Amino acid sequence: MKYRDTTIGHAVAAATCTLLGSTAPALAEDEAARWDFDTALLYYGEDNDRVRDLSASILTRRDFDDDRYLSLDLTVDSLTGASPSGAIAMDGPQTFTSPSGDDVYETAAGQVPLDDTFLDTRYALDLGWTQPFARLYTMTAGLGFSTEYDYTHLGANLGVTRDFNRRNTTLSAAVAWAQEDIDPVGGTPLPFALMQDVGNNSSKTGTDTKDVLDLLLGVTQVIGPSTVLRVNYSYSDSSGYLTDPYKILSVVDPVTGDTVEHAPASGALGPTGVYRYELRPDSRRKQGLYAELKHDFTGKVLGVSYRFGTDDWGIDSHTLDARLRWPIGEFNYVEPHLRYYTQSAADFYRFSLLDGDPLPSFASADARLADLDGMTLGLKYGHKTASGSEWNARVELYQQSGNVPGDQLIGNQSRREQFPGLDAVIVQIGYRFKL
Amino acid sequence: MKRIVTVCLAAGMLAGCAGIGVDPWDRGVLARADMQLDAYPTDAALDDHIYFSKEASSGGRGFGGGGCGCN
Repeated sequence: MKYRDTTIGHAVAAATCTLLGSTAPALAEDEAARWDFDTALLYYGEDNDRVRDLSASILTRRDFDDDRYLSLDLTVDSLTGASPSGAIAMDGPQTFTSPSGDDVYETAAGQVPLDDTFLDTRYALDLGWTQPFARLYTMTAGLGFSTEYDYTHLGANLGVTRDFNRRNTTLSAAVAWAQEDIDPVGGTPLPFALMQDVGNNSSKTGTDTKDVLDLLLGVTQVIGPSTVLRVNYSYSDSSGYLTDPYKILSVVDPVTGDTVEHAPASGALGPTGVYRYELRPDSRRKQGLYAELKHDFTGKVLGVSYRFGTDDWGIDSHTLDARLRWPIGEFNYVEPHLRYYTQSAADFYRFSLLDGDPLPSFASADARLADLDGMTLGLKYGHKTASGSEWNARVELYQQSGNVPGDQLIGNQSRREQFPGLDAVIVQIGYRFKL
Repeated sequence: MKRIVTVCLAAGMLAGCAGIGVDPWDRGVLARADMQLDAYPTDAALDDHIYFSKEASSGGRGFGGGGCGCN
């Protein structure tokens, strides 16, 4: 019997063993099929020249003896396009200084201003190790690293699970730490600083950091021969620089609701209105409760989940997700998917700032912190080959809409487009195989 | 007497819990790949990243890999 070509398998195994500090094991024929690969290419595109993202992801898992395994996840994202800056639409065109401070960008009359963002590529690498210790106990450890133009993340996690009740009940606990470095284009804006003319960086300073601590407690319970339930409680504590350095608020006339005008210095380019950079608190504590059920009925699998989230920024959210995997013959399946999401606005969400009023402690006009709803409708198709590999493809439509509370709309603001809704398409193709 | 009642109640509850579940030989369906709770981790991670960037909530299911300068 001939060996299959496992050159790639050998090279990756040697590399990962070097990483772990052990010597590479001799690869026997039956070990050649213990690398699992899960690869995907995803396109995310919003309408109206907004954000477009292309992601490539490779997840690989190497099983060792005694239920130990190593996982490696590499993802590369390439992001382009524009997103709402937080400034409000006006009857006339508007000009803004770009994040770098070197140029300006314009918004047409009546349009919700979009950040003229730059092309950004993100790389993320995650390593994980799982192994049993003592009967009924398993531990996991992981490291994560990601980097993009203006941001770097380093994280570690540790977890333990314990089985009970003839392995029908599993309790799990995990903790994760992360440190993030933020180095925005043009520098971090000073709290509520005014947007300046091109070449004037007096409103901006240097870099900043953020720390995150996450805790996860969970129980997985087999309900019956065809049903399994998982319930997780999560707690997250972030502190440091939590503001979005690129988001702004329009300063408006308290009667008309129109942005106060600004004239750039003579001979200079700059903003045509008064805009201030946003400011968020330097800490955020979130809690979540998540429940997921999977049930098989004659080969079809229904998965439903519900997540409730709450935090000390005043944002409460509900997420409902349902999938139905419907096999077609022995080798194919389709899976329709529905997701519904709703959140309440952050306490410090403001549609605009009133000229002449004292500044609040915190304020943001970022639409992602507003009262919004999101709906996703998707369909996935998968095909298994005779050798056990799987091709799959999915298309999803994501639509987001929101509203600004009436008491935050002043004067002319009520008759213009307020919430920059979102319409996006997600297309993904994937291939899973073993080496 | 109170201690005995408490112990009996606790044992009863545990016995009740021990009743939920299946015997090891009855796990055929549960062992199927499509019945695993993390059946498609790549899809889940990519979705988590999209929703983390567009909404104000994240996580709950597990620890997502990496971070993002988007929220």
